Amino acid sequence: MLKIKNLHVNAAGRPVLKGLSLEMKAGEVHAIMGPNGSGKSTLSYVLAGRDGYEVTDGTVEFMGQDLLSMEPEDRAALGLFLAFQYPVEIPGVSTTTFLKTALNAIRKKRGEKELEPAAFLKLQKQKIQQLGMDPEMMKRGVNVGFSGGEKKRNEVLQMAMLAPKLAIMDETDSGLDIDALKVVSEGVNALRGPETSFLVITHYQRLLDYIKPDIVHVLANGKIQKTGGPELALLLEEKGYADFYDATEAA
Amino acid sequence: MTAAANKESFMAQAPQVAAALPWLADADALQNDKAAGWMKALRSTGAEAFSQTGLPTLAWEGWQYTNLRALTPAKFRYSAEPVKFDAAKIPSPLLGAHRVVLVNGQYQPKLSSLPEHVTVMSLMEAADKNIAGIEEQLVTLGDLGKNPMTALNAAYLRDGFVLVVAKNRDVAEPIEVVFYNAGRDAAVYPRVMYRLGENAGCTVIERHCGEGAYFANIYASIVLESASRMRFYRFQEESEAGLHASNTVVQQQKGSSFEGFSLGMGAKLARQEFRLQLIDRAISSSIGGTYLMKGQQSHDFTVLADHFEPDGKSVQHFKGVVDDQARAVYQGKIHVRRAAQKTDGYQSHHALLLSPTAEASAKPELEIYADDVKCSHGATAGQLNPEAIFYLRSRGIPHDLARSLMVESFLGGAIEKVSYEPVRDIYFARVAAWLAGRGA
Ligand SMILES: Nc1ncnc2c1ncn2[C@@H]1O[C@H](COP(=O)(O)OP(=O)(O)OP(=O)(O)O)[C@@H](O)[C@H]1O
Ligand SMILES: [Mg+2]
Repeated sequence: MLKIKNLHVNAAGRPVLKGLSLEMKAGEVHAIMGPNGSGKSTLSYVLAGRDGYEVTDGTVEFMGQDLLSMEPEDRAALGLFLAFQYPVEIPGVSTTTFLKTALNAIRKKRGEKELEPAAFLKLQKQKIQQLGMDPEMMKRGVNVGFSGGEKKRNEVLQMAMLAPKLAIMDETDSGLDIDALKVVSEGVNALRGPETSFLVITHYQRLLDYIKPDIVHVLANGKIQKTGGPELALLLEEKGYADFYDATEAA
Repeated sequence: MTAAANKESFMAQAPQVAAALPWLADADALQNDKAAGWMKALRSTGAEAFSQTGLPTLAWEGWQYTNLRALTPAKFRYSAEPVKFDAAKIPSPLLGAHRVVLVNGQYQPKLSSLPEHVTVMSLMEAADKNIAGIEEQLVTLGDLGKNPMTALNAAYLRDGFVLVVAKNRDVAEPIEVVFYNAGRDAAVYPRVMYRLGENAGCTVIERHCGEGAYFANIYASIVLESASRMRFYRFQEESEAGLHASNTVVQQQKGSSFEGFSLGMGAKLARQEFRLQLIDRAISSSIGGTYLMKGQQSHDFTVLADHFEPDGKSVQHFKGVVDDQARAVYQGKIHVRRAAQKTDGYQSHHALLLSPTAEASAKPELEIYADDVKCSHGATAGQLNPEAIFYLRSRGIPHDLARSLMVESFLGGAIEKVSYEPVRDIYFARVAAWLAGRGA
């Protein structure tokens, strides 16, 4: 469902991704681990279609389509979702309005009928409960005044509402307390299925205890340096990244 | 600004007699009508004052940001003849409420209908009947020495109407006042008087609209007697080629309250001035507004909240968007006189620039002579946050819709202050329609 081939990306004129290749099948959970500044968020932003990155080489195919030529909203309609490392605050737009607009925009693009207000509210209520969120928060501006952990939960809520085919989770675990980590992981696991894939970016092995990955990649110096099973995450936790790339090359 | 500069009247400006004369050319025709003596006197005072100065220029205090080039040469002509118009073109009522219709400033009783306890008549008729307070309200509050637009309006004193709400009467249904301008390069000078008796209440919706090219110079004087309550909502939706200059003076007596809001979205060039005079104790006064400017449009909100006595509260809350090469101006001032202790004054203006060539200027001012007051202001101008736009798009919301959502939520901060829900909804609908027309 996702094929990244030899991806080269510049940010602010400087190469960040330098020939990254990665392939995911439907229903798989992949984890990406890697040192700070290695390009994990860059990869997630490029996949989601954010401005400011220059793709100098390589291709990305998602659901059989050329992902890089599409607008961000069309990527979302096709089933791509990015849980942001730093969710954005949008004063004045309530979370409910935001979710309803997003869900209906996606349904419209897919040629489906818009959801009736009652059906939408029912779905939203169910997901809020599942994630242990305060319904009052839905009336506030998107992420405005939310704590770090609340913002991350809100990302997972959006993911649950939009039911993507591929969810990229960029450090969704950072900022979550131990209980929240469990609740959020359960929320993610509830979405798992043969049609839903996850690309989980994290620094911590702990998350992978809850969301069991099929495959673990090490991203360093703009490339996938090693790919393995869940045991690779344990090894990283123990030894760090030093064995997987030449740190001097990074500079 | 110093107090001395503030006191300086426009009489002190350099004379521009030659430029002023064409504007007064049609006033002579009024000389032989049957207007009351005080009306004739006011006309000549207005003409005299205007002839000294002509229109304000960018060099004037308070006019630095609004260029009146669109008004020169003075091609707009006034006529006292009954205006010919097609009644079908007058927009249908917004809320099915009672209404007062003016065409080129001339009151149209046949098209008007009024609720109980409200008296409306043309200005000439009201002057003839010497309606209580009319002379004082139209002469004293005119303040010709400060504003050439008002002086020019006075030089043509004839059109417009008087609306009086009887004391102790609360008129539940809104009264819609339509100022329709029929174009054809007409200069239109209505003078309007609203008066709410003691403890009366009403809601007025003013709509300024028309077709073709014209210059509408409106002077509105509102007197709120003690403990009366007024909601005043304006839609400035003049035609694309229309020019709009309005001066609204609100004189508030003890314990009265005023809630005003204006949407500025029409006209090639518009300036709406509001002067709130809180002349007694325990008065509450709020004025808000929103502008939606595109193309080459230009809009100016100039507001003064003038506190005379203690315990007054005034709020100014303005937000607007500017696109293309359009311009917007907000000048807001809170003036607290020495006696006005315990004044609570607030003003804010926030502009959203949708294009790199759009401009917004703001001049917030506090002029305070009392020592125990609470006054604050805030002003910002900014662009849509691209991070937020991307966040919305990444959730499947198309670019146009994302922009609209953000603009609507931005303006919502001002429109939400409108307490009368049916009108609030119409304001929101106007914003949505404007955004849809832009392709956002
Ligand atoms: N828009 C940008 N402008 C300039 N530099 C950028 C930009 N985006 C990313 N970079 C640079 O690219 C490199 C990779 O950044 P990125 O955020 O992708 O790292 P990361 O792997 O997500 O790190 P972390 O683990 O700290 O989140 C960094 O050196 C960063 O400074
Ligand atoms: Mg990152």
